[in-house]
Amino acid sequence: MPRFLKEYFNRNGFGLGSVMLGLVLFWTVGLIILPQLSMLDFSFRPNLPPPEIGGPKDLYTLENYKYLIFGPEGGSQSYNAVDLRVFYRTLIAAVFVTMFNLMLCYPIAYYLAQTKGNHIRVLALMLIIPYWINEILRAFALRIIFGESGVLNNVLVGMGVFDTPFDFIRNDIALYAGLGYAYILLMIFPIYNVIESLDRNQIEAARDMGASWPRIHWRVVIPYAKPGISSGCTMVFMLSAGALAAPQILGGPSSLWFTQLIYQQFNDNSDWPQGAAYAVVLLVTCILLVLALMRLFKVNMGDIGK
Amino acid sequence: MKNFSLMRIGIWVYLALFFSYLLGPLVIMSVTAFNSPGFPRAAPWECLTFEWFSALFQDERILNGIKNSILVGAGTVTLSVAMGLAGALMLTQIWPKLRATYYTIIIAPILIPGVVIGISTLVFWDRVNRLFGLEADSFLSNGLFLTVIGQSTFIASYCMLVLVARLQRYDNGLTEAALDLGATHAQAFRKVLLPFMRPAIASAAVLAFLASFENYNTTTFTFGEYPTLTIELAQKVRYGITPAISALAFIIVVLTVFAALANEAGIRRKELVAAARKSATVEELESGKLRLPGFLSSNAAAVILVVVAMMTIAVVGTAAVYSPQQCIADVREQKRLETDLKVQELLQRRAEQAARRDAEQAEQSGQEPTTEDTTPKASNNSGFGNVFDPGALQDDGTDDPEEEPATPGNNSGFGNVFDPNALQSD
Amino acid sequence: MSAGVGVNLEDLWIRFGDFVAVREANVHINGGDFFSFLGPSGCGKTTILRAVSGFLEPSQGNVLIGGNNMKGIGPNKRPTALIFQNLALFPLMKVWENITFSMEIKGASTKQRRKRADELLDMIALTGQGEKLPAELSGGQKQRVAIARALCAEPDVLLLDEPLSALDLKLRQHMRSELREIQKRVGITFIYITHDQGEALTMSDNIAVMRDGVIDQIGDGKSIYNDPNTAFAASFVGENNVFRGTVKQVIGNEVMIRTNRSGDLMARISTANQGKLKQGDEAMLFIRPEAFALAPAGTQGDHFVTAQVTKEEFEGSAFNIFMEGEGGKEIKVALPNVGQSFESHMGEAMTLEYQVKNAVALPAGVLATE
Repeated sequence: MPRFLKEYFNRNGFGLGSVMLGLVLFWTVGLIILPQLSMLDFSFRPNLPPPEIGGPKDLYTLENYKYLIFGPEGGSQSYNAVDLRVFYRTLIAAVFVTMFNLMLCYPIAYYLAQTKGNHIRVLALMLIIPYWINEILRAFALRIIFGESGVLNNVLVGMGVFDTPFDFIRNDIALYAGLGYAYILLMIFPIYNVIESLDRNQIEAARDMGASWPRIHWRVVIPYAKPGISSGCTMVFMLSAGALAAPQILGGPSSLWFTQLIYQQFNDNSDWPQGAAYAVVLLVTCILLVLALMRLFKVNMGDIGK
Repeated sequence: MKNFSLMRIGIWVYLALFFSYLLGPLVIMSVTAFNSPGFPRAAPWECLTFEWFSALFQDERILNGIKNSILVGAGTVTLSVAMGLAGALMLTQIWPKLRATYYTIIIAPILIPGVVIGISTLVFWDRVNRLFGLEADSFLSNGLFLTVIGQSTFIASYCMLVLVARLQRYDNGLTEAALDLGATHAQAFRKVLLPFMRPAIASAAVLAFLASFENYNTTTFTFGEYPTLTIELAQKVRYGITPAISALAFIIVVLTVFAALANEAGIRRKELVAAARKSATVEELESGKLRLPGFLSSNAAAVILVVVAMMTIAVVGTAAVYSPQQCIADVREQKRLETDLKVQELLQRRAEQAARRDAEQAEQSGQEPTTEDTTPKASNNSGFGNVFDPGALQDDGTDDPEEEPATPGNNSGFGNVFDPNALQSD
Repeated sequence: MSAGVGVNLEDLWIRFGDFVAVREANVHINGGDFFSFLGPSGCGKTTILRAVSGFLEPSQGNVLIGGNNMKGIGPNKRPTALIFQNLALFPLMKVWENITFSMEIKGASTKQRRKRADELLDMIALTGQGEKLPAELSGGQKQRVAIARALCAEPDVLLLDEPLSALDLKLRQHMRSELREIQKRVGITFIYITHDQGEALTMSDNIAVMRDGVIDQIGDGKSIYNDPNTAFAASFVGENNVFRGTVKQVIGNEVMIRTNRSGDLMARISTANQGKLKQGDEAMLFIRPEAFALAPAGTQGDHFVTAQVTKEEFEGSAFNIFMEGEGGKEIKVALPNVGQSFESHMGEAMTLEYQVKNAVALPAGVLATE
């Protein structure tokens, strides 16, 4: 037995140590690493009926990736314009949602973290309660509001802002509002956690030296809160790019989200390898984007999830 | 300072806007659960009704979904708290060189899109299933198993984060002290570490259950023959919405508020007890006669909790005896009158048009009339209120595609009659 | 139990990777002794304690308790109980539950545990405080609870890892005598880790002085103070004036040293080094501040140095006089306060007389920096 294993079992006891090691291995290898590798492997295979899997036709192929770029073989267009457009629009919209969320949440996080008093507890509670409620129901609530005969249209038409109800859903406004709504907490918490540990004296000192509020935030608070901000942005971006419920419920009929394409490949077309290939593309692109941003802002992986 | 108070007002306005964005949708959704129209809306208010609640409780698929959600939740909580705790403990003692890699691996599931986790779980266990030569309906491809496994993959990461935060404040000397006093590793774990971790384990379990309960992205690929509540809701919401869903949402909101208040009250009470213990004398502690503060004394959360509980009882009591039939009948009658009026007007207009057309046709035969499709739009301004607004038309239209779209007043007026829920509540 | 169980360390080595924490330790601890490991932080004393209690497997060598080799026996199976530096009281258990934890493990009934807890609480003068939580106790009370908890396990050997370091001075002094008293009463072997030479000297039957993983000297307090083996032991335990130089002449067990700045001085060779110092060797000569007698300048005693008073200090139990000898050599003299009238000699040159038996010559070596 290698020395570190021996030390490990000395430290934790044999029974307890084995259970712990078993659980960790099951989680990391059985639930995280192998399924992802398996999906990657699957995305390079042709779509075959079950009896032929593992048979002579089961050869590695780039077909599924080619499909995303060039569309079906012999198709009329040289590029798969529809899917590619959905793909890049999903990413851009996710970036947009992330930025919207950051701007919305930063002041709240700062206020909650740097203010004392009982009302902060109440506010925090009010912040958390919506997140104890089902994701679908949150989207449903927004649909009631943004629907053509919804509250918002009633109010706007009543006030005379619009003559006829505005179609928030078809214009994707409901979708962006819904995605923003869904991940507010994930943006606020990391930023809040970091700002809470910021010594209030630093802000006072900056004020004392005559710095204006925007300058204090720009030079003192934001640099300090950078790990929290990037952690929140990473999570919101990944989750909005990977969202499925909100686009299905709040998305207009013409505006698909990339995850919806994956869903269709799996459930409507029963083309698992194709769906897996799309999933791999989504995952890899998101990870590369996040890593690039983390490098740009000089943040470590270890800061994520604090 | 004028500047300062201006900023203050700014902050409060911002807070108000922010929280209305956050809570407004929930409030409006809750209101629609008590309004009688078949399409969930808060305005115009028609009749106070509880029928959507009874409709909800008679919906087999929803009830089955709740049952499945609880099954999946129980499995996920157990598995992910166990894995999260093991993962957190491992993080505190792993070889420093491996630490960063290990942390990246166990934190990654939070960042991997849920859709991807669902797919990879499905694909991987399908392969394992084939590897073992099992049938397509074996337990490895069972929806319950797959959903628990899929959800636990990333929920365990959340649990790990919660647990590691508490574990960082744990003095490993305590475990050593227990061992030194003769405890086995298992005893030290059970009697010292576990009690210390209990609050964090409880938080992690609640978090895990909520995350499991509301998960859609992963579950939608793995649920198989075990559709959870969220899956059922999503399917309902995608193919037409009813206030019964608002009713369910309202129940969940109320339960959530209850849980939050109970939690707050519990925390406050613990503080009070700790304060009382601190000021207690040795004799009081010894005799066990320490007078602990009452549950409601100086505990705002507890007071609100009791008030909300009483209000809930009152509402449920009202619901049991209240009957909206008269109101619904009145509204129906009024709508019928309006519809009749409308129909008559339409008929009249059509007659006029027909007459005009006849006249026009007589003058210039072969020219197609274009006036017809402007008629419904014109009716919009005709002072009949929202009954005729296009939204109502469209939504009811999707509910009952067989109905003729050309007779607009019909839908809302008779919509309730055709609604199966309405029949059931009779 | 009254005879006490001895502990032996045989050729004990403990390594962490390339770092040697303990080097070739050979220690015999008598049953029923109060034995201290004394040394600066990082010298390996806590490592030895962890090896005795079983949290560390020695890289080489053996730990014997009561003659039994402890190899492969876990901490929960050894007849030792450890009092941790931070006490490690279980924060969520009441005091009585803490004290009787070892009984809970063995499956004793609540009634038995309560009874034993009351006895032990009486012993540590915390009668009736069993219902409190550790956080509700003062520092000294926590200390005593930790001792009671360890004693409740009825160990043959009690190990204490600097348990007094967190207390303030007054309490620390009080706890010293209390610990010693408890040890006498229960009669078991105590192994005590400290960096405070005052603690070690006042409490211990025997002391091991450690430096960088090596045990420099083992002996009772008096012999370590009066007859140190190494320059380190001489400088770490108590205060000392050190004079560097080379051996000019060896005369039996005495030696004449040519010091760098203070001329030729006579000293006795410490017991462990007799026969080891040769002419021409580099050597160090140690004279304790209280071993000097002050005399007016020009007095020609047998053995003396001359120096000028630069500072005078009153410490309570003694007057401290700081002097500067030839070449800026700093010398400290302590005159015990026995009610004499103190006459200031600020700036005056004085003669410092000493007796050869109070001057110890040792081979040159590393000094304690503290």
